[in-house]
Amino acid sequence: MACNSSGCESGCYDREKDNGSKISVEDVVAGGGNQESVCVKCKCNEPMTFGDGGSEDGKFCAECFRNNVFGKFRLAVTSHAMITPSDNVLVAFSGGSSSRVALQFVHELQIKALKNYEASRDRSLPVFGVGVAFVDETAAFPALSTEMVDAIEWIRSTVSSLSPPAKDVYVVPVESVFGSDSLEARDRLVKLLDSVPDDTGKEDLLLHLKMLSLQKVASENGYNRLVVGSCTSRIASHVLSATVKGRGYSLSADIQHVDARWKVPIVLPLRDCVRLEITRLCHLDGLKTVELACRSQCGINDLVSSFVALLQEENPSRECTIVRTAAKLTPFYFNKIPETDDSNVPMATQRRLKRFNLKYDGSMTTEAFCPICNGPLNRSDSSDLDTFEEGQEADVLYAACCSSCRFQILPEDGSSLEQFSSFLPDHMISQVKHQKVDSQAHLREKIKDCLLLDDEEVV
Amino acid sequence: MQLTLEFGGGLELLCDSEKIHKVNVDLPNGAESDDFTMKHLLSWVRTNLIKERPEMFMKGDTVRPGVLVLVNDCDWELSGQLDTRIEEKDVIVFISTLHGG
Amino acid sequence: MEAKSKKAGASRLCCLCNLRRPVLKRPKTLQQICRECFYEVFEEEIHQVIVQNRLFKSGERVAIGASGGKDSTVLAYVLSELNRRHNYGLDLFLLSIDEGITGYRDDSLETVKRNEVQYGLPLQIVSYKDLYGWTMDDIVKMIGLKNNCTFCGVFRRQALDRGAALLKVDKLVTGHNADDIAETVLLNILRGDIARLSRCTSITTGEDGPIPRCKPFKYTYEKEIIFYTYAYFKKLDYFSTECIYSPNAYRGFAREFIKDLERIRPRAILDIIKSGEDFRIATTTKMPEQGTCERCGYISSQKWCKACVLLEGLNRGLPKMGIGRPRGVNGDHKMETKKPGSVAKSIESKQCGSLDF
Repeated sequence: MACNSSGCESGCYDREKDNGSKISVEDVVAGGGNQESVCVKCKCNEPMTFGDGGSEDGKFCAECFRNNVFGKFRLAVTSHAMITPSDNVLVAFSGGSSSRVALQFVHELQIKALKNYEASRDRSLPVFGVGVAFVDETAAFPALSTEMVDAIEWIRSTVSSLSPPAKDVYVVPVESVFGSDSLEARDRLVKLLDSVPDDTGKEDLLLHLKMLSLQKVASENGYNRLVVGSCTSRIASHVLSATVKGRGYSLSADIQHVDARWKVPIVLPLRDCVRLEITRLCHLDGLKTVELACRSQCGINDLVSSFVALLQEENPSRECTIVRTAAKLTPFYFNKIPETDDSNVPMATQRRLKRFNLKYDGSMTTEAFCPICNGPLNRSDSSDLDTFEEGQEADVLYAACCSSCRFQILPEDGSSLEQFSSFLPDHMISQVKHQKVDSQAHLREKIKDCLLLDDEEVV
Repeated sequence: MQLTLEFGGGLELLCDSEKIHKVNVDLPNGAESDDFTMKHLLSWVRTNLIKERPEMFMKGDTVRPGVLVLVNDCDWELSGQLDTRIEEKDVIVFISTLHGG
Repeated sequence: MEAKSKKAGASRLCCLCNLRRPVLKRPKTLQQICRECFYEVFEEEIHQVIVQNRLFKSGERVAIGASGGKDSTVLAYVLSELNRRHNYGLDLFLLSIDEGITGYRDDSLETVKRNEVQYGLPLQIVSYKDLYGWTMDDIVKMIGLKNNCTFCGVFRRQALDRGAALLKVDKLVTGHNADDIAETVLLNILRGDIARLSRCTSITTGEDGPIPRCKPFKYTYEKEIIFYTYAYFKKLDYFSTECIYSPNAYRGFAREFIKDLERIRPRAILDIIKSGEDFRIATTTKMPEQGTCERCGYISSQKWCKACVLLEGLNRGLPKMGIGRPRGVNGDHKMETKKPGSVAKSIESKQCGSLDF
């Protein structure tokens, strides 16, 4: 208050002693000049220098570096029971570096499992299946159609180079969430997006639709896990953009290793790896990637990305600190692998899952979810729903959504909202109805003790 | 064009610690006097009045986020920001919010 | 630029009264509003915040932390006005801290003294010199410009509490506005301080401590406070220079970000506060262990309170004592603040000049 309330940080204390920062000034090597010529981990091989100006350059040899990154992946997978032998795993592949690494690592896991399978005498356990899905956003960005076609071809060839074991490739047009008639679906997608006045809202709505289309292709083709390659850096940006959009309540649901509120649970095996490691690994292993122009952001999302980049320059471990802070928020009951029919899961795995409390009991209290973003609703946000008895579909939609979607996605005036509601994919609309029914049942449950039965007398 | 410019909230430090400046602004070459907007004025101010750290006052074409601009006691957001037309004897106030209190 | 707002000039009259010329576009609501309606709405909203959050009780003695800056000037005026208008029945005082920084504090104290006369509120000045035996000028001479903000932050927090105790007040009020709180939420996320994060959006804090503090401006935009000051007081008669000891290098990335954000989406500032309120944080992180300092009796979870540790260092000529890992008196505790809910928070995360929440 009296002086610049944020101005004093750097001069007044040793920045490096920040919570979570482990890097001291000497560690950030500017190019060569490193006296050590030995990997700090194995102490025998020569360390790799990536020369990209990032932190911790020239410390590890190629092997230790790769083992470190793969190790984090594998630890995430095993400690959260992300992939078990009976699973059918769909990897969401955007062509970018994170999902490329996720695909590569899942493939390596699969190869190892195959080797074990072939070596073992007991052939009762199948090797988990892997498929690859790419969401085609051409309908939303018609100008990029040629680029998209090239990208798709490249993706198919990349995946086919990763066999055996062979993996099916699914190119999913994002408009498929509206139905199978591609012309009508495309048209509806364009109309829906055009009716959102806010740029950031439009961008976020498209993301939600992408996830819906991935869910659709996964469940229609018998997959029971969806692997998403989000890395620490991506999550750090999400933490800040969610905070800035008033989504503090649902934030903890989005950033855990497992997100089982969807029909096909989502797992994030690269959550503990930073983008720098991932880009370096791609460079090291010659993993090619493709950057599509539609990946560029606008509005709030873009501002947040620039902000995080700026913070990273100032302190390379900032992303990790942000995610570490957010990880201290209480997760939801669905941030664990759900209970399923265990007959195909080996006893040892079952025991481990139970012992580490890695499964949730589906009969526990259900949250209400926003039909657009699927975010769990804070009770105070969702209280409006009960007042809409036989309201218009649009009003019911408004009442069912979280405050953030109401502001940035739903159009303001009544008639635009009606129209918008008519363009939404059926899945989202049915969510609204489902929620309303749930909420009435919930309300009834709350007041049942006060309800008079027909044959009781009024005192 | 005769104008009164006021700087507050710390911005005066960028203009020799003078809060009030009564200035005579030359119109850009060939421009009509009813064509003069905030955009022109800002660029004039940056060149002629800001003696140090211009990045504290401006970012790109417009004022740095956090600087409140009032034209004749009116929020410039109401009159089109950079497109606000400036006339003879107008009073323009720049207040920075980027400081404590 | 997001296309959500209506085009300027669509209606040339105030949204509320439809009579007068609008002078401000409110960031909170994007309404175009005239001066009179703005004063009314501004003051009424503060009143509603006070009432809905039950900030005061009739008969309470309330000290306004007055720095001479825009927030405390407006706070002093609005509170005394609302107190009168709505009969809160409060006994209001101005409380100002003199850190002993030549050239900076003298000027701001002049402003506060003017406020005393302007609003007819009694003023109490508490100085570091009286409380601790050291002025900031002395401290900086001793330790230089590194860590000086740490000292100032710790001392100021205690000084306000002690000053309030001297005045026998029931509550302290500070002028922290929505922008300040949004910035604090972001900074706590960036620094990993989950415990502070859980407390920093509370409108009243320290209820279990010596003097509770509240922030009636929690939902008030800084832009509106400035506009109010300018429009109402006709001139920028508030103190506005940087503390001369705060370094220029780190210019507040978070604040800049918030301002950029406000430009694209003004309601984002309130959205950040809402997120902060809604974060699911286990309540065990909220309750600190309270004891008292052996040396001075101030509340502390350690044997000695932070201020005493720092003072001991200064007096012994060991200015690093109490900075970073604890040594000296409390040095038996090896790890710095890893206990959940410990009051002695990582000292590096204290901000200069900001009144600790």
